[in-house]
Amino acid sequence: MKKMKVISPILMEVSWVPCSPLRRVRIGPIKVRYRMLLLVFRLSFLSFFPSLSLSQHFAPTRTKPHHRISVSLNLKQRKQREEKRRMMMKLDTSGLESFSAAVPSAMATAEDQLFAPPSFDLPAGCADFDKFQMEAKQTLKHAKGTTTLAFIFNQGVIVAADSRASMGGYISSQSVKKIIEINPYMLGTMAGGAADCQFWHRNLGIKCRLHELANKRRISVTGASKLLANILYSYRGMGLSIGTMIAGWDEKGPGLYYVDSEGGRLKGNRFSVGSGSPYAYGVLDNGYRPDMTVDEAHELARRAIYHATFRDGASGGVVSVYHVGPNGWKKLSGDDVSELHYKYYPVQPTPVEHEMVDAPPA
Amino acid sequence: MSIFEYNGSALVAMVGKNCFAIASDRRLGVQLQTVATDFQRVFKIHDRLYIGLSGLATDAQTMYQKLVFRHKLYQLREERDMKPQTFASLVSALLYEKRFGPFFCQPVIAGLGDNDEPFICTMDCLGAKELAKDFVVSGTASESLYGACESMYKPDMEPEELFETISQALLSSVDRDCLSGWGGYVLLVTPTEVQEKILKGRMD
Repeated sequence: MKKMKVISPILMEVSWVPCSPLRRVRIGPIKVRYRMLLLVFRLSFLSFFPSLSLSQHFAPTRTKPHHRISVSLNLKQRKQREEKRRMMMKLDTSGLESFSAAVPSAMATAEDQLFAPPSFDLPAGCADFDKFQMEAKQTLKHAKGTTTLAFIFNQGVIVAADSRASMGGYISSQSVKKIIEINPYMLGTMAGGAADCQFWHRNLGIKCRLHELANKRRISVTGASKLLANILYSYRGMGLSIGTMIAGWDEKGPGLYYVDSEGGRLKGNRFSVGSGSPYAYGVLDNGYRPDMTVDEAHELARRAIYHATFRDGASGGVVSVYHVGPNGWKKLSGDDVSELHYKYYPVQPTPVEHEMVDAPPA
Repeated sequence: MSIFEYNGSALVAMVGKNCFAIASDRRLGVQLQTVATDFQRVFKIHDRLYIGLSGLATDAQTMYQKLVFRHKLYQLREERDMKPQTFASLVSALLYEKRFGPFFCQPVIAGLGDNDEPFICTMDCLGAKELAKDFVVSGTASESLYGACESMYKPDMEPEELFETISQALLSSVDRDCLSGWGGYVLLVTPTEVQEKILKGRMD
């Protein structure tokens, strides 16, 4: 049974609740359910503020609006109110809609036009729209030139990545942050289109925070990766290029999921994503043991990324290694790959065949 | 990626005071994968004439073998070494012979002519000569190299300064190219000696 320090529940109202309301919590010799504790503190808090309503203790969820002095409404206003309420309670399924171009059919009724997805004019002079769409996607296709890896071991999750961004053969940056901090206990990696990854990870961070505020508990890694995978599936075929790993520590322990822009989502213990991933897998799979210490795991991740940057042209720059433990993530190191090379393989003085010697003075 | 970017290369030649330097990177790759880090791209024709060949590695090696063959025949007939200007015309003619099925390589020729006058020139894959008085570049990193050389070059540099300049230009340019780098090789030629140096560069 995990021991949990109890911090004043009054402060919990404004910060994250670290455990479920049903969990049994120990304060000194007494063992109570957490929600009982919350109730006691709230009641004592309210004894100083009797004007506050008591109904919030006994209704666990607020579905009905608060009581008001009734106003006499005519039939039309009452109907409008009902409809507004019904609209507000409608589920937001905008993330699940498919965005396939709607071909206006000859038999479209008024209702069909109202509920059909937005349609647009085809580009002028375009006989074959499918080919045009394929070509448009091809121009935006990124080759996922990068190396990122993540693995679970007994002490948590290690996440590592290089820092090079390339556009074809040109290196556009050697200092890109490819490990995105979604929140203090979850990390995401970036591979593929940089803009896509940055935007959707930030979007995921927003959704995770909304989940916490709505449900008063942190989202699990399973849940977060599912949210992202569902969003990416709804944009499938539109040319997004994302190959990311969501790593974190939740109530069930360390979690690692691979999510990509084709809509795939895989749970696993070891992943590497990007053009340098075959090289990183070779080193990672060889040196992996579940019972490593944090230092050994750190060195393994750094070595794997270094070897990938040596062999792969599209990876390079700086190796960043992060560790996700029970208290959240921590950045372990950021080493320049070139310095690592000369550290692992110092320059040997080569034997010189012909050496010029000054002629002795006559 | 085009056929010129299949193996990846970077070449630069610079003129100093009665001397010249020719430098190349050392990577041989197959698209993004690095296969070797000690690939030779600068070849000797005779003591005062060197040619660097960028582009497709197999065509570079074949071109070099053909040129060595032609030069050896010339030496037998004329009983002397070729002048750099003549050699440049020879390379240009050989490349244009294959006008409709070219060798995918871009040569950089550097040599010391009469009166120890340094001579450099470059060509495209069909043999169009470009003579320059200061520097010539070639390879996948050529755009970065143009910028670096333009800003770092000064006329009439002594050999040590020329070596420094060309090394810095090469290393900083290949650091912006995924397909070249992994070390550098510089050949510095003066009327009295030839120095070859291997540069310690970024290995990513």
